[in-house]
Amino acid sequence: MAESDRMVQLLSADGVLQTEGPAAEYLPYIERLGDDELRQFHRDMVVVRRFDIEAANLQRQGQLGLWVPSMGQEAAQVGSARAARDHDHIFPAYREHAVALVRGVDLLGIIQLLRGTTHGGWNPAASKNFHLYTLVIASQTLHATGYAMGIALDGLHATGNPDTDEAVMVYFGDGSMSQGDLNEALVFAASYQTPQVFFLQNNHWAISVPVSVQSRIPLYRRAAGFGIPAVQVDGNDVLASFAVTARGLDEARGGEGPRFIEALTYRIGAHTSSDDPTKYRTDAELQSWVARDPITRFETWLRSRGEGDAFFSEVDEEAEDFAADIRARTYELGTPSTDKIFDHVYSEPHPVTAAQKSWLDGYEESMGSDA
Amino acid sequence: MSNREFSLPDVGEGLTEAEIVAWKVAEGETVTVNQVLVEIETAKSLVELPSPFAGVVTHLLVGEGVMVDVGTPIIRVADAAAPAGNGSPAHEVADAAEGAAPATDALAGSAVTEEPAIDSGADTIADTAASIAADDDKPGAVLVGYGLKGHVASRRNRQAAAGAPTARPARPSSVPAASASTIIAKPPIRKLAKDLGVDLSVVQATGLAGEITRDDVVREASQASLFRNIETPSWAADREERIPVKGVRKAIASTMVASAFAAPHVSLFVDVDATRTMEFVKRLKNSSDFAGIKVSPLLIMAKAMIWAVRRNPTANAQWTDDEIIVKHYVNFGIAAATPRGLIVPNIKEAQDLTLIDLARAIEQLTITARDGKTQPAAMTGGTITITNIGVFGMDTGTPILNSDEVAIVALGTIKQKPWVVDGEVRPRFVTTLGASFDHRVVDGDVASRFLADVASIIEEPALLLD
Amino acid sequence: MSELITNTDAPHHAGSRDGEAQRRRRESSATELPLARAINAGLQQAMRDNPKVLLMGEDIGPLGGVFRVTEGLQAEFGANRVLDTPLAESGIVGTAIGLAMRGYRPVCEIQFDGFIFPGFDQITSQLAKMTNRHEGQLQMPVVIRVPYGGHIGAVEHHQESPEAYFAHTPGLRLVSPSTPNDAYWMIQEAIASNDPVMFFEPKSRYWHKGPVDLSGSAAPLHASRVVRTGNEVTLVGHGAMVTVLLQAAELAASEGTSVEVIDLRSLSPIDYAPIVGSVQKTGRLVVASEAPGFVGISSEIAATVTEKAFYSLQAPVLRVTGFDTPFPPAKLETIYLPDADRVLEAVDRAMAY
Repeated sequence: MAESDRMVQLLSADGVLQTEGPAAEYLPYIERLGDDELRQFHRDMVVVRRFDIEAANLQRQGQLGLWVPSMGQEAAQVGSARAARDHDHIFPAYREHAVALVRGVDLLGIIQLLRGTTHGGWNPAASKNFHLYTLVIASQTLHATGYAMGIALDGLHATGNPDTDEAVMVYFGDGSMSQGDLNEALVFAASYQTPQVFFLQNNHWAISVPVSVQSRIPLYRRAAGFGIPAVQVDGNDVLASFAVTARGLDEARGGEGPRFIEALTYRIGAHTSSDDPTKYRTDAELQSWVARDPITRFETWLRSRGEGDAFFSEVDEEAEDFAADIRARTYELGTPSTDKIFDHVYSEPHPVTAAQKSWLDGYEESMGSDA
Repeated sequence: MSNREFSLPDVGEGLTEAEIVAWKVAEGETVTVNQVLVEIETAKSLVELPSPFAGVVTHLLVGEGVMVDVGTPIIRVADAAAPAGNGSPAHEVADAAEGAAPATDALAGSAVTEEPAIDSGADTIADTAASIAADDDKPGAVLVGYGLKGHVASRRNRQAAAGAPTARPARPSSVPAASASTIIAKPPIRKLAKDLGVDLSVVQATGLAGEITRDDVVREASQASLFRNIETPSWAADREERIPVKGVRKAIASTMVASAFAAPHVSLFVDVDATRTMEFVKRLKNSSDFAGIKVSPLLIMAKAMIWAVRRNPTANAQWTDDEIIVKHYVNFGIAAATPRGLIVPNIKEAQDLTLIDLARAIEQLTITARDGKTQPAAMTGGTITITNIGVFGMDTGTPILNSDEVAIVALGTIKQKPWVVDGEVRPRFVTTLGASFDHRVVDGDVASRFLADVASIIEEPALLLD
Repeated sequence: MSELITNTDAPHHAGSRDGEAQRRRRESSATELPLARAINAGLQQAMRDNPKVLLMGEDIGPLGGVFRVTEGLQAEFGANRVLDTPLAESGIVGTAIGLAMRGYRPVCEIQFDGFIFPGFDQITSQLAKMTNRHEGQLQMPVVIRVPYGGHIGAVEHHQESPEAYFAHTPGLRLVSPSTPNDAYWMIQEAIASNDPVMFFEPKSRYWHKGPVDLSGSAAPLHASRVVRTGNEVTLVGHGAMVTVLLQAAELAASEGTSVEVIDLRSLSPIDYAPIVGSVQKTGRLVVASEAPGFVGISSEIAATVTEKAFYSLQAPVLRVTGFDTPFPPAKLETIYLPDADRVLEAVDRAMAY
């Protein structure tokens, strides 16, 4: 829906490099990429997709209460994530498993979140500032904006040194565009001219509600209403996703204010494992997007540049190993200690949690074994 | 070769059951990890279930078209990799993780108890997987399929561990030691005390936590209403009040005169450490046998006197001018002050009663007397009597013998006093037993031995275990 | 509208006249301050002590806040430390969370109690849970200041007492000063706390003066305090209610009843020790608050004290609260809000048991 004539695409669905039209000004960003970096794009996308399939299976096998598939959105996530600097801060929603992978998060953390052993899963400070998932729609956009305000207050953007200038990237979906918090975040970002990229993955569905219900116009055009420059990109094109994001981040960290990117992509899977998309969307639509698969087109393009079977087989094997490792380690996950209920409710000692934790300890001790 | 079962998981956040729509594999077929085994229909949608195991399907446990609860085993797979002699438990079938029983266990979901062969691809990886797969057992973490059904509600086995909070703490933790209020009474007891006009500060508390119980208040009230003046009325308007002598008052008077001036009364007193009796009474109160039965020191006194009668038969006798009739049965009289006056009903054949029956009899006698319904027959034929003046708040006294009897014992207050135990002064429950005897029948030695016997029981009730 | 300015000086605002500065200097050494000024002084001190302390809210810059609590602070500290925000409570709290992640200590002002609800989600779903979600690896040293309560003859939504919604949320701390001295010290302690603190300011007391000991020290932030001793009935309340309780106690004394009054100061956690100690002495407790009674903080106190001081109770714990209705139009507020007579009615009932 709402693909505009200004959509930036560098790689067609057939895997052919585009050089004319909106693509032209972004080619330099791609030309800077070396072969290893391009291979890494492919590796990232294949591994995370394989991970996604394994996790979905684990859920069906009863190992996870819920799975949130990222299938189909790999290019938007990998491309944008690879454009960010290590010192940038990234605020995801809850489907950005590929971004997590790129930022070095142990994806078992996502498994733990959905298995019910934690509400977190990783430490952002140890994961290249990839913040925890936020499950309330769009809440993270305000946190990201506040963080970016902090960067501005610290004077750590717009110094002209991209190696130290910081920026923030916040991810969200088409449903988020209707939430008050996102609109307030855009207001604050524009008002304070924060060093921030708003990255919208328009995967066309908010559970069962099509994006047409969220908006009557292409979503990227809303940003102009807030005074924020915006770009629409083919989110299934990893090269374009990378290029557009790289430019947006450069501009933001350079002091030009916030930027908005709409990546057009598609949620190949269900909203979550509890959802049944057959109830609200057609197979024809699904297939039309399968035909525009991000990994297929990129492989086509890499092959056209001379990449051979050996590379692709190696990546497949790596993906299989990755999935197997996730499966094995999932089975090893035990039950969290009941201390977790109490220990971090507050940063400072608190009489109520202390008393209740102590009570529970005594209560548990007074119980005989359940033999 | 080990069998593993896959139980129906909750695939949709709170689903309780699903229908097996179509099996995608057959018995005897080799399957790989993640291979689709079956299509199920839940309340939300049609779902395919991938295999957690690699191996050979041995049993399809549920037929197509059948609805089963989450947690029900649906398929059994024999381990294909079967690393030789790996010592894995032979039968995980009945032994899913954490002792789950199918369908009824709270831990619903697939019971994966062993590391499945990591065999997610269909091709040559099988062998690689076998070598990768750890031989050691990893107990399958059970799971998150959380069916809502299958939670058998059962009470966990609560131990009364030493130090663990018990149902009845010795002292309620909410009452700090330095409590400014020394009166511990629950609100209903306070109300009762107020209604009965009882001053809680003078009530002796006998509750486990040191609180004043309902009985304590009622006891005080009984004393208060019957035997203690609660208030000081103003002087009556009349100069004199003349009460005719008749009825009960006349009867009491003549009986008293006959007894007091016919029988030479001699009184003896002994102080007794009654602590063990008090403890015994408490334990009886707490025992299930005596639930609902009033137990008091009076009961032990009755038993003590009956025991003392066995040892001193002439204390249980009657003087006639011609002969002294020593009775080998005890009709045990209890003096009861009623609003209409003093009566002494007796419990017939008290020597034959068990402790519990005696308790019941005493209670019945008391209630009947209080209600004014004591029958004349109950008031004749007594052989020995006790009078409880402790309820009056009196320490001891010199009771007057009941007609045709030769001994009467007065039970006074039992309260904590300093007592010497093992050379040290300690607070103990102390009472003074007083007794009057007819010196025509009972000489001083018999009287002393009788009273000493009673005292020895009060001091050590275990002596009743004859 | 001020912007975040990183490379230039803070703009010089019209409000920072020399006369203004002089007046502030005079007041800072004075020992009597209205509650609003005491908070102002406390904020000023906290901002001087720690450059990471930020103020953010609507109209807090040149205007100094609708109650003037932040008056003069933007002039002293600049627009990079005193931020006029867009009109968006969720935005204020949400960006404060982001700023706290960045290492700042944001102090948010919610303009009026009734306007806190757009921010309710960010406060309860995010701020309160952030440290727990991060399993202790992230702290949220955020303060949310909320003028609350009635007695100012205001229109709808400007006289609410929403404490209970937040006290019910684990992860938050709540306090409410009743005196200028407490206000001065408690705002600084709240800012120094590494946990989210909701700071409820009794707006009907903003202009009442009281002694402030600028050179003293702070009582523990979450301690309750006996403010009048007595031995027949205990009265407990917070914020503006404390004044009402003291009035009731004075009247009771003239009638021969000895009343003890306790200022709660902290609504979550509640410091029960002085309350229980008092009830053990008096045997009777009356808890009062402006908020509607059903499921209010007074009910929590009643249940807990009954449990902790059961054997001492001569009477049930009584509650005197607002009625379970929306706050009425201003002409009816004196009927609605518990006053000394309503409190004494409960005292009489307690004494009758």
